[in-house]
Amino acid sequence: MKRNKCLLLISSLACLGLLVAAAAKEGLWQPWRLIQASVTGENGPIDIRLRQIVVPGLRVVDRCVTCHVGMAPGEPPLSGPRVASSHKPVVHDPGELGCTVCHAGQGYATQKADAHGEVRFWPLPMIPLEYSYSGCGSCHTSLKVPNTEILERGRKAFERLDCLACHRLDSRGGTLRIGGAHGMEGPDLSRVGASGYDQGWYEKHLAKTGPGAEPLWRETFAPIDEASLGELKVYLDSRVGAPGLVEAKALFHSLGCRGCHKVNGVGGDDGPDLTKAGERDPGRTDFSGIRGEHTIQNWQKEHLLDPARVVPGSLMPAMGLSQEQAEQLTTYIFSLRTSNLPEAYWPKDRIRVERFGEREFATDGATLYGTFCAACHGIKGQGRHYPGMSFFPSVGNPDFLGLASDRFLAQSITHGRPGRRMPAWGEKEGGLRAGEIRELVSYLRALGGGMSPPPGVDEPRRWAAGDVKAGGRLFEAHCCGCHGPNGTGGLAVALNNPGLLAASDTYLFETIGKGRSNTVMEGFAKPTTTHPALSSAEIEAIVSYIRTWEAGPGERAGSPE
Amino acid sequence: MDAPEEISALRRFLLNLKAAPRLVLESAVRTGLPRTDRSRASFVFENLFLHLHPVRTHRWTLRWSTTWGLGILCVTCFLLTLVTGLLLMFYYKPYPDVAYQSIKDIHFVVPTGQFIRNIHRWAANLMVVGVFLHMARVFYTAAYRPPREFNWLVGMGLFILTLGLSYTGYLLPWDQLAYWATTIGANVAQSPRELTDALGITEIIDIGGIQRELLLGSDVVGEEALIRFYVLHVMLLPMALGMLMAVHFWRIRKDGGLARPEDVEQRLGPLGRDTHPVFTQAPLKTYQLVALVKGKTPQVENGPENTLPSMPHLFYAELAVFMLTTLICVGLSIWMDAPLKELANPSVPENPAKAPWYFLGLQELVSFSAFMGGIGIPALVVMGLGLIPYLEREQEGTGLWFGGPGGGRLVVESALFGFLAVSAVEALAISQGWLREWFPDIHQLAVTLFNPGTLITGIYALYSVFVLKRLNSTRAGAMALFTCFLCGYVVLTLIGAYFRGPNWEFYWSPSQWPAH
Repeated sequence: MKRNKCLLLISSLACLGLLVAAAAKEGLWQPWRLIQASVTGENGPIDIRLRQIVVPGLRVVDRCVTCHVGMAPGEPPLSGPRVASSHKPVVHDPGELGCTVCHAGQGYATQKADAHGEVRFWPLPMIPLEYSYSGCGSCHTSLKVPNTEILERGRKAFERLDCLACHRLDSRGGTLRIGGAHGMEGPDLSRVGASGYDQGWYEKHLAKTGPGAEPLWRETFAPIDEASLGELKVYLDSRVGAPGLVEAKALFHSLGCRGCHKVNGVGGDDGPDLTKAGERDPGRTDFSGIRGEHTIQNWQKEHLLDPARVVPGSLMPAMGLSQEQAEQLTTYIFSLRTSNLPEAYWPKDRIRVERFGEREFATDGATLYGTFCAACHGIKGQGRHYPGMSFFPSVGNPDFLGLASDRFLAQSITHGRPGRRMPAWGEKEGGLRAGEIRELVSYLRALGGGMSPPPGVDEPRRWAAGDVKAGGRLFEAHCCGCHGPNGTGGLAVALNNPGLLAASDTYLFETIGKGRSNTVMEGFAKPTTTHPALSSAEIEAIVSYIRTWEAGPGERAGSPE
Repeated sequence: MDAPEEISALRRFLLNLKAAPRLVLESAVRTGLPRTDRSRASFVFENLFLHLHPVRTHRWTLRWSTTWGLGILCVTCFLLTLVTGLLLMFYYKPYPDVAYQSIKDIHFVVPTGQFIRNIHRWAANLMVVGVFLHMARVFYTAAYRPPREFNWLVGMGLFILTLGLSYTGYLLPWDQLAYWATTIGANVAQSPRELTDALGITEIIDIGGIQRELLLGSDVVGEEALIRFYVLHVMLLPMALGMLMAVHFWRIRKDGGLARPEDVEQRLGPLGRDTHPVFTQAPLKTYQLVALVKGKTPQVENGPENTLPSMPHLFYAELAVFMLTTLICVGLSIWMDAPLKELANPSVPENPAKAPWYFLGLQELVSFSAFMGGIGIPALVVMGLGLIPYLEREQEGTGLWFGGPGGGRLVVESALFGFLAVSAVEALAISQGWLREWFPDIHQLAVTLFNPGTLITGIYALYSVFVLKRLNSTRAGAMALFTCFLCGYVVLTLIGAYFRGPNWEFYWSPSQWPAH
């Protein structure tokens, strides 16, 4: 019995000790208590209590402000450690939307690692500061953005025309004050794309330089030409307070990423759909190929720089991106967070896209080409070759554009080339509308220096009546090295597909004869070091032979003996 | 007559006020301090909460090695889960997604919320372990024998209720772990469909589908399932468990306390010095309900000679176990937090999705055949366990560890055999596949009837018949079978817990799991 009594005493005391320890740990040494204790406000120490931002409409309960106490709504200016400093002025009031809507992380948590989401089983860790513009994507994923070149032209116009002298934009400029040192500066233009601006600003500016105007106005403002005005408009429309996101998305719309990846239902199918790519769960991500920090952002960046190293067996080619480009694309990809916001909180851009069917990419030909075509056909339409894949045709080649009619181009884009990498881009497949495809065709024409075939080039569509067997032998001798036996493709594109064979005989004949300058495809009408000149009859025979593939694989005419 | 006059009412009031604390105490504890045998006895039977205990307890019962305190450990765990569970109920909201948020709130802002949830979880796990061990203790000391057969059955009921409570509690946090473990459980409930499909009668009677729908209240694990599990977890099952516990304890008293060997007097030896003196006289009859009850009470002719007053001997032992169990739970709760994974997401299956650890042995069997693993074999085992006291009615070895023919040596042999048999069958199934891999077109019924799970069960049954014949004792056969199953279950659980990865493939370690 004595033993039992001892055991009872010891276990009771130990239990009591542990309970006291647990209570003390919980009540006294919580890091947030220590932080709040080290902070002083205007009237000395502040109340030490849990603080939180509750937004029922967004189902947000964010206790971040328990440590970042300077950011708590209604908190007077505080002095203390950096963690308690106030939020820098931003577009949205943290008290109105909470913290996690933009920054992600775990709002419920009251300890740093948990709150920042650097723990297991929290799928949305905080977005690192250098990628913080990704956070805007939680709501503003549908912002309409042109490609980089157009945006850059606008920025250059803005700087060239010296708008920064009076106006502030993205934390720059606004030093010149009309009316002297104490005069008013021009309005900050960083957010005009979202808030809207007076469309008649130019006329009003101009009017101020008229008779009786302040000399400074007359010295600083001069008439602007039509083209520059257009460029300025594009640029101002893009200033929504999130330059990092806009620039990143513009890059996405310049490198042709959507050629393989769908976003919100528009894009190719070769790569994974990226609509929710910003919700990548670090707990389900393999970091074994990652150098440097094991954050999902770093994973994404490394993947963009060298896909096969990060995901063994990945089909995505290395795009040859710079570090900065990879970071920008990472910013954009992590902005693709399809948060299930209640509709009342949807911004205008999202409603326009999801309800009214507007586009989240500019629909001019250049942006469309940058968005969907550039990855394969080259930024300037020069074609491209990735190791392990066929050459992608140079669609900007004047030789090609000099033969291909608008109808043929539009058809090729709409229906693609079945059996080749070129997917169909019609509304049901890739998601492009007829008007957009027309824009693309005219942009291609511009790429080729305005080359277009003489009218009636496609008439008659079929005239070649060469010797099929001889054509087959010639094809085997001269073509199948690149285009593969039976035109199944090899280093060069496959020819045995209905998309290409929809072309007229003249198109095929001339392409064989003249070739495509600046590509591997040489004209066969002239002799070179590798082949003799082919006569018109011989080329016609090859065309007739190629035509036999039209019948379809089952009834294909016998290949040459 | 004058006396009341002498003390005024006011004075009397003041005197009473002064005496009030003493009077309250006296009215509550009517027998005074337990200093004599008589007051020790009334201390027990005049107290609502203590009178479940006998006034005097046999010295055999008080030995640590008789029970290792496992029964009290289970009760303590139950009380701990009850108290912490009630506290959690103040904050928990049984609705999908909101449930998860409320657990996060319990973790992060409810004072000591995480700690309380940890205790709840550790106590629940310890209770499962305790119930396993308690059952093993009762079996190995042959304490299920008459007149205690029925209490063995009650104990089985408690065992099943404990598992039910644990399983229903598993869903409540509404995280990925909970969601997918529950989905597995629901699929096991649906597993009779494997049999009815093989027989082609699912159209006519879909027992599996009905069971699953009864469990979930819907086709999927959703809000209906959550509220069902919640009601089961906080109301129905605890109440059932409490009632059955009361029956269990009451039967212990009515069956004459804990089982003890025939020659208990010789085994116990003289009293220790710190014990209180004992009666020596055996009563010829006792006077409980003599007019109504047939037969005699257990005390008649047995005498209380080797008993000690429950107060203090039994109560200190029980309290010590109680506090020790509490200490273990509190210690574990400080050491390790209860897990909470991501919010449940029906579109992202956990792979591997694993059941709670105590069901992993079953899940391993389910991976061979959902019906046999989830329902057939467990039902056989439960039935077999329940029948033990009715099929094994020998006398030798009652109340002694590994009592009966064969003894400890047989248990070691059986454990070895059980281990080798299960390992061999598992190794075969893991390295070579099973009927489905060998004969792809084989009828499902063949796989259902003959799979690693049924094969192990069959081998164990044959082995126990062999032992039964060899030692010519049903007790020996039962010991062989029980030990084999215990051993087999532990091995299967370990395989399920540590060696099964995505798609329930075998891996030597989680580091070999494929990355995506």
